[in-house]
Amino acid sequence: MNVAEILELVRSAGRRYLCEDEAKEILSRVGIPVTPCRLARTEDEAVERAGELGYPVVLKVRSPLIVHKSDTGGVALNLVDSRQVRRAYREIMARAVAVDPAAAVTVQPMAESGREVIVGVTDDRQFGAVLLFGLGGVFTEILGDVSFRLLPVDRDAACSMIRSLRGYRLLSGYRGAPPADEEALIDILIKVSDLVAAYPQIREMDLNPVVVYERGALVLDARIFI
Amino acid sequence: MPGHKLDVLDTIFHPRSVAVVGVTGANDRVGYNLLQSLIHAGYKGIIYPIHPRLENLLGLPVYRSLEEVPGPVDLAVIGVNQYATVEVVEQCGRKGVKGVICVAGGYREMGAEGKALEERLIAVARQYNVEVVGPNTLGLINTGVGLNATFYPIRLPRGRVSFVSQSGGVGLTILQKALDEGLGVNKWVGVGNRSTLELSDYLEYLARDDSTAVIGVFVEGTDDARRLVQVAGEVARRKPVVFYKVGRSDAVNSAALTHTGSMAGSYQMYRQILQQFGLLVVESALEMVAACNALAMAPIPRGNGVGVVTHTAGPSIVLLDEAGLRGGVFPPFTESTMERIRNIMGHNPAVVLKNPLDAAGRGMQAATFGRLAEAVLEDPLIDLLVAIYCLHLNWRCPTSEILAAQEKSGKPVVALYISSLEQVREERELLHSRGIPVYVTPEEAAWGVSALLHYARQRRGVNR
Repeated sequence: MNVAEILELVRSAGRRYLCEDEAKEILSRVGIPVTPCRLARTEDEAVERAGELGYPVVLKVRSPLIVHKSDTGGVALNLVDSRQVRRAYREIMARAVAVDPAAAVTVQPMAESGREVIVGVTDDRQFGAVLLFGLGGVFTEILGDVSFRLLPVDRDAACSMIRSLRGYRLLSGYRGAPPADEEALIDILIKVSDLVAAYPQIREMDLNPVVVYERGALVLDARIFI
Repeated sequence: MPGHKLDVLDTIFHPRSVAVVGVTGANDRVGYNLLQSLIHAGYKGIIYPIHPRLENLLGLPVYRSLEEVPGPVDLAVIGVNQYATVEVVEQCGRKGVKGVICVAGGYREMGAEGKALEERLIAVARQYNVEVVGPNTLGLINTGVGLNATFYPIRLPRGRVSFVSQSGGVGLTILQKALDEGLGVNKWVGVGNRSTLELSDYLEYLARDDSTAVIGVFVEGTDDARRLVQVAGEVARRKPVVFYKVGRSDAVNSAALTHTGSMAGSYQMYRQILQQFGLLVVESALEMVAACNALAMAPIPRGNGVGVVTHTAGPSIVLLDEAGLRGGVFPPFTESTMERIRNIMGHNPAVVLKNPLDAAGRGMQAATFGRLAEAVLEDPLIDLLVAIYCLHLNWRCPTSEILAAQEKSGKPVVALYISSLEQVREERELLHSRGIPVYVTPEEAAWGVSALLHYARQRRGVNR
């Protein structure tokens, strides 16, 4: 399915929220690097997907009704074999079916750690579509070190979004840590901007976390609202 | 913007005739003050005061209704309450008046009932193609034609700066401060609830207005934010636009909603998006006036290098601090400039020679100060000079020397004359007449310098 078809499918189902596999499918279609995200509807399927992807893996609950997956115990990280996958599947589903009998899981490879950032699109009451960029976790949530730009953004604006953060040195390298791949982040920001420009039915996006490495960056989790 | 709004705004700012609806004989009432302001500011067009029973007011014949007015009316200033205002706008529509100023509050800022009333006002305005300034506004001013269509009778010196304000009170703060600073004003408008005319509409008008060189905007919040920044960014390519956005604390959001019916929005988001569009954002009414003063007075410098000549170090350090936070650069002087400075200062000066240049006792003499100013202005790394001098009862201040040095170099100069506003008045007039802004505190001088540097960077395309 292409981007328009995925969005239409969600809309015609009367949903506002795209499941992670759908969101990541859209992102990968426009060239944004994401971790593979395979749907599994049974325990055996989950093990099969894990085998295909290679261990260690991550299991996440998959339901249009569960937006905040980790808040409800819907995420199991770093599962190293099929036994752990089976146990995680049962634990996740035991909680999820109470909310959504049609819940499933997605299986994803466990990504290497790196520096975490967030990329978001918010539908501001006054400005409309605004792009957000910040360093992950406490930097955004507690220190409010976030940059905003009106969409669409060009390369210069994307670049300044990153460099104007107070915590920019955490990306550019400090105390011997090598610089993170800024170009990869700029590329993601521009592609998100282009995506929203092309599909204005996308109202909000939350790519969180995005992990940036010395070379490359990877979207580990993604939410999209239409 | 549709040409209609632009044309009507032009008529509103340049009316050949003004009707004042709701005049009264009581000088503590808005209706009286609206008429008084027009007369006080020296409006030369025809004024038609309207009241059902009065015969004469302030030397003018009073008409019983708009219908009775013999000639066409370009602008109606409406001073009656919020309910009667809607009827008067309808009468204006029938009379063929295209622009009205609605002073009364009591509309969308008052909740559902007020919102419904404002919707009626808008519907009536649309029906007759009338553009509404306000409602819930102080009114507007155009010094170019002696038009003060507010209920505050003030006279302002004519100038090149125009202001668009979402608050009458903050707009007045800016005007009063401008008066104190000898800054001339061109146009001023309190936008009120923006029923048919948005902040961006006024900006588009002022962008095309040849007598406006600089625009200051005070914003609380608006649903039109996207268009506002896009229009302002476009305007700022041609003339500097300065924004003062209120709403840094959460407390403001609910206050602004009940004030003009708009949420203040995230300050951080506003600030960054304004900067994205190359706009200068200031943090107070004082900084607004300081910034507009410099931008209206001095040419935009070619680069970012600031040179300072002073005879007292402290103010130059405050300047460095305030301007440095806003992107100012104070480069070291070149060797040939240093050579000139050493020659002027003579042997064993009691200070370290560098930029900012503190000439101490020798700098108190106007002639020496002037030679130093000249040397610094001729330095190739210096794009703008700040001349700092503390006014003294007995010493002659270096005004003529600064003027000569500036004329020779053609680079912008900012004067920081530490003084009272009263004491500096004469020198200021002279310096202003030659394009040199004058400040009496180092902070304000830094804000003025920063505004010039901001638009220097913006012109070179390095502001984002």
